[in-house]
Amino acid sequence: MSHLIIEAAGLSDVGSVRQYNEDSILLDAERGLMVLADGMGGHRAGEVASRMAIESLLTTLHDKVALFSPDDDPVTLRPVVEQSIIRANDEIFAAAQSNPNWHGMGTTLAVAVFHGRRVTLAHVGDSRIYRLRFNRLQLLTRDDSLLRDQVELGLIAVADASSSHNRNLVTRAVGIEAQVQPHLRDDEILAGDLYLLCSDGLNDLVDDSDIELIMNSLKVNLPLAVHHLVQAAKDNGGHDNISAILVRLREAAPAEAPRGWLGRLRAWWRSGVGG
Amino acid sequence: MAKLVLSTDGNVVFQYFLDNDRLGIGRRALNQVVIDDPAVSLAHAVIVPVGNDHILEDLGSASGTFVNGNRIERHILQHGDVIEFGKYNLRYMNPRASAETDLDRTMIFAGLQSVAAPGPDDPRPSPERLRIPTARPARARTPKARVVFTVGPRARSTVELDRVVTMFGKPGVRMAVVTRRPHGFFITHVEGDKHPRVNGRRIGAEPRQLRGGDEFEVGDERVEFKQD
Repeated sequence: MSHLIIEAAGLSDVGSVRQYNEDSILLDAERGLMVLADGMGGHRAGEVASRMAIESLLTTLHDKVALFSPDDDPVTLRPVVEQSIIRANDEIFAAAQSNPNWHGMGTTLAVAVFHGRRVTLAHVGDSRIYRLRFNRLQLLTRDDSLLRDQVELGLIAVADASSSHNRNLVTRAVGIEAQVQPHLRDDEILAGDLYLLCSDGLNDLVDDSDIELIMNSLKVNLPLAVHHLVQAAKDNGGHDNISAILVRLREAAPAEAPRGWLGRLRAWWRSGVGG
Repeated sequence: MAKLVLSTDGNVVFQYFLDNDRLGIGRRALNQVVIDDPAVSLAHAVIVPVGNDHILEDLGSASGTFVNGNRIERHILQHGDVIEFGKYNLRYMNPRASAETDLDRTMIFAGLQSVAAPGPDDPRPSPERLRIPTARPARARTPKARVVFTVGPRARSTVELDRVVTMFGKPGVRMAVVTRRPHGFFITHVEGDKHPRVNGRRIGAEPRQLRGGDEFEVGDERVEFKQD
């Protein structure tokens, strides 16, 4: 079976209010590696934490992913991704202990590793991963956030959640404690799928229905789609940093029939030359 | 730090500072806030701190609990809220609960449940089913506009531009979108070798703002843009 071609576009924006951008993103379409991190901590330590997470994951996964052939059992990637996040946690936690300015720093993570016909997804904290399939947007991750816990336990009504001040409180992050337990899942991917990794600066301000509409309308032009998502969050207030990565998967072979007599001639010529 | 100001007839009677403990309100002396008024039940209401929030809950009182004139069962207190108890008022003061700046900074907080690794038998609702509304401010401005098709298969029909983006043209061939922003509407080329025309002139790669009366063409469709 042929492999799917991965195309990606990403943006990380300081937003309309903040002075610094504490988000970091990594796109490596060649290796199918996407990482988004939303840092936290005083003295700009959030920037340090999110960048450390990205660099650590890049170093570990870059080499390890290359060791797997896309035809290997895809589940084998799951422990690799998990270990790489645990390692990033160790590094950030150790750095935070060594420098008083960095004490308490940490970061959320959203990770997608595309591999053959599958993707391994991981997240910690309230950064999200969505999938657009058959024009429908689906949230694939469950936020580690106090507000979500409260709503799930029925302590506050869904409708009242927008008046809560607990939106910014995450219950799990990378680098905060000696241990971390990431959420992991594997999915089969289909040609035409669009994946979105984003920080809460996007989904806190743009409704899922608008995210879906923007992705559906602009999926042929990924950089424009990402730009529109970030712009929508800024237009709605942009009170946080906003980051988004869009990934589109398409069939490697040109599936569409050649158009017009010239197209058919070219196709015939190519097939003749190719044998 | 958040506080409650108890007053009657416009005169401040007492101030209570809210820390991390629950605070009972009622006529009985065991309450932290004791209000001696016949309209108040012995144990009338309670305020529970959760994260950055203080949640006010009615304890099945005889006369009910009212915030800013509305009866509530459970309410997340907002800076400046007035809770009414007979002829007494309790005003909730928490500047932090209104300043959006620092509260937006992501911070770590202990979860409310021991979160087991989500497995197939995870009883909690799927992330898809439970959607927490966005924090988009209600004051966000959305201008109104529509287009009237003058040429093409949809000629003489009107389309409201009431969503964040509206598509024009044929996907896969030639397409543009009109984006609704707080300060107006913008047309942007999306795909195809021929960019759309506005008032007869082709636009470039950058978005072009539309003004009332503008005409634009995408493929074989031509429309007139009308803004309120």
